[in-house]
Amino acid sequence: MSEIAVTTKKNQAKTEYKPEHSTSRGKKIFLVILLLILLSFPLMQFVAGGMNYWLHMALFIFMYIAMASSWNIIGGYAGYTSLGHPVFFAVGGYFTGTLLVYFDVSPFLSAPIAGLVSMALGLLVGLISLRTRGPAFIISTIALVMLVRIIFDNWDYIGGTNGISTPLIELPLELAKFPFYYYMLLIAIAAVYVSYRIRHSKFGLGLRAISQDETKAEVAGIPTSQYKILAFGISGLFVGMAGGLWGYYLTYLKPDIFLLIIIAAKLVLMTVLGGKGTVAGPIVGAALFILVNEFFVSNFGTTELNIAATGLLLALVLIFFPKGIVGTLKEKGKLPAILDWD
Amino acid sequence: MSILVVDDISAGYGSGPDILKGLSLEVEEGKTYCIIGPNGAGKSTLLKAICGLLHPRQGSVTYKGEDIGKKRTDEILMKGISYVPQDRSLFPDMTVKENLRMGGYTMRDRKELENRIDEVLEMFPILGERSSQSSKTLSGGEQQMLAIGRTLVLNPTIIMLDEPSLGLAPKVAQYIFDTIDQLKDSGMTILLVEQNARKGLECSDWGCVLDLGINRFEGPADTILQDPRIQELYLGSQKRKSVEEVE
Amino acid sequence: MTQAIQVIIFGATLGGVYALMASGLTLVFGVMRIVNIAHAILMILAAYIAFYAFQLYNLDPILSVFITIPVMFLVGIIIYKLFFSLISAEDRKGELTVLLTFSLAIIVEGVLGAQFGNTYRSANPGYASEAILVGSFIIPKGQLYATILSVLLIGLLWLFLKYSRIGYAIRATMQNQSAAQVVGVNVERMSMIAFGIGIALAGASGSMMSFLFTFYPGKHWEFIAILLSLIVLGGMGSLGGAVIGAFLLAILSALVGSYIGFTWSPITFFLALFIILLFRPQGLLGKKEDI
Repeated sequence: MSEIAVTTKKNQAKTEYKPEHSTSRGKKIFLVILLLILLSFPLMQFVAGGMNYWLHMALFIFMYIAMASSWNIIGGYAGYTSLGHPVFFAVGGYFTGTLLVYFDVSPFLSAPIAGLVSMALGLLVGLISLRTRGPAFIISTIALVMLVRIIFDNWDYIGGTNGISTPLIELPLELAKFPFYYYMLLIAIAAVYVSYRIRHSKFGLGLRAISQDETKAEVAGIPTSQYKILAFGISGLFVGMAGGLWGYYLTYLKPDIFLLIIIAAKLVLMTVLGGKGTVAGPIVGAALFILVNEFFVSNFGTTELNIAATGLLLALVLIFFPKGIVGTLKEKGKLPAILDWD
Repeated sequence: MSILVVDDISAGYGSGPDILKGLSLEVEEGKTYCIIGPNGAGKSTLLKAICGLLHPRQGSVTYKGEDIGKKRTDEILMKGISYVPQDRSLFPDMTVKENLRMGGYTMRDRKELENRIDEVLEMFPILGERSSQSSKTLSGGEQQMLAIGRTLVLNPTIIMLDEPSLGLAPKVAQYIFDTIDQLKDSGMTILLVEQNARKGLECSDWGCVLDLGINRFEGPADTILQDPRIQELYLGSQKRKSVEEVE
Repeated sequence: MTQAIQVIIFGATLGGVYALMASGLTLVFGVMRIVNIAHAILMILAAYIAFYAFQLYNLDPILSVFITIPVMFLVGIIIYKLFFSLISAEDRKGELTVLLTFSLAIIVEGVLGAQFGNTYRSANPGYASEAILVGSFIIPKGQLYATILSVLLIGLLWLFLKYSRIGYAIRATMQNQSAAQVVGVNVERMSMIAFGIGIALAGASGSMMSFLFTFYPGKHWEFIAILLSLIVLGGMGSLGGAVIGAFLLAILSALVGSYIGFTWSPITFFLALFIILLFRPQGLLGKKEDI
């Protein structure tokens, strides 16, 4: 090798292997500004009024940012596609809902615990499901959703197929969405932060090794089973929390709202579309998908074709755009700094 | 009379690199060729390129004057070139007879297929005994017999064998080589890839040494057998030489 | 005791139908190593065809198999050409294809929902609500006819695979794809044909489904989960295993339905799936490398 080649390789090595991700000042400023905007956004209600639709859209996006970022931990980092996350969503929702209806506990208090319950469930289920790989794992997660669906449908205490309604939050109409907005924002920030920290940790590195070649990772000494199960559990945490809040927001808990495979499909789609395995990907994907979906719904109405379109989009993204937005931009070297958090 | 001419072919798997890098070989009818060389030299790749499992990226493969480089495997099989892969490639849950029937898959005439199956079963009495057993219950040597028998159903002109003695005990391997002798005597053209180079060369007319994707040198089998360079590099000499000395 | 036997009869008569449903799925997996999540929604598509043939033209749902089988065979070929030719052979074995069949399932579900709505449907030819009395046991006619036809079709499938030239080629591809290539089988073409046959079997299953169950587009998730548990139990890729698994679990779920509660019976399949995955991921008859 010529001297130039050797030096270039050395420099490459220096820039590529950065154990600590140094956040530039520009990016930090960007985050602060973004946070300020998001925090003050609802205040427009007092200025302009009629913001409830936008508050709804925003908190809906925050929720899916949290869920997609969480899903990404098992689906993106570890490479195990789970279609079972609606279970975490449901467990979270019903947990806070039941505590509210029967014991008068505010979901704002119980949501984090709902998250922990979901996480515990994830760890338990993971012990069984993660003994399989690839297609078999995906199948086991579908079976999980169906299993939980039947249990909930038959459980009279939580309302069975009819579900239970939860009381409305006692706030005037203009303020009603505020607590949900801020709480979801908080959950989203927490989920993204956890995703970011995992990405830059030894744990995350291990997960990514598992997604590349699990056998080699095992041979290299990575505790693959433990890592996978932990990842699955963590991925359930914020989904459970979000679910805990969502049930309260909807004022209604029903199995066929929460335990829908289409929710799982949306999580896959958002994450892959944005960029599987990246930090910013799920955020971009969630926001983009919900906004585009909303555009179509408001112009063409909700029909079942919406479902078909989601499926079609998923297929197209999987075949033609598997690296997603962030992934493709990164590959071409055109990723803007504000999206580069990996 | 060259029945098969491989001219300067390059070939590889999928979108991977070239394994064969300009390999040329001429095969005369009725002769037995032993192809030897280190692992990765391209021996199996060469056979696959001839029978259509791979298509040469460059160069040509000509059989009886016809360019077969782009043809499908079933077309090449029907023209008279058969191939026994390294792992024997049997159908484990099919019986011996069904495996033979699969060998004749490209045959249109069912009657003739049944005749040929019976002929092969006669040729290999052991297979005849086990004709209704599923092939996974056969011993290693019997499986190799079946693999060879399967190619014979088509009555090929050229038969290509990829490491037929692999994994077989010496006595069983000897039986295989005796079978190859039988085929030789019947006038068949044989391409034999063998890791057991000594045994392979001993039952062949001509030897080719492949290395790094080209035909490094060739010659009459017994000459190759005696050549000291070959002896050391590929056959293993009597004295153990250190790597540096060989290099 | 008599109740138990009655319930077992009930389950066994459904077993044949489940076996038919599972056979198509198993065939496709055996040949192409693809788990076709869309299998159940395609069954429902066929069920709609049978349903409307009955409603509009009074065509007996059982006879509708003469329509659904060829129609769904063509549908299968079209899907194969559209979807699977786009993926290279290496990607095929991984989870990409599962996700693609998953998206396909969603697409078809959406289209069916848009076209037919979410109303629960069920064809009701006379025999669907009649029964035969054997001793003191009741055998529902609809289920009996369906199971007989299913077993017949599975038998035909078996004969086809065992004795026809294409059947040989398909079995060869299932057992050792590279060996099949070596003897001149056009593996691509066989995969396509096998897929078509698999979907054709879904078509026949759909005809049965139209009068045996109430169906609507969203119901396919329940069915695909059931079918997947059947073939995982029987060993993925093993036709015999799928049939055995189908009868076993059908009887078991009938017992659960009878003794615990009718709405609980599907849980048998899902629990079975989890338990098998826990102890023997390759099922009862499958091989370790299938999972």
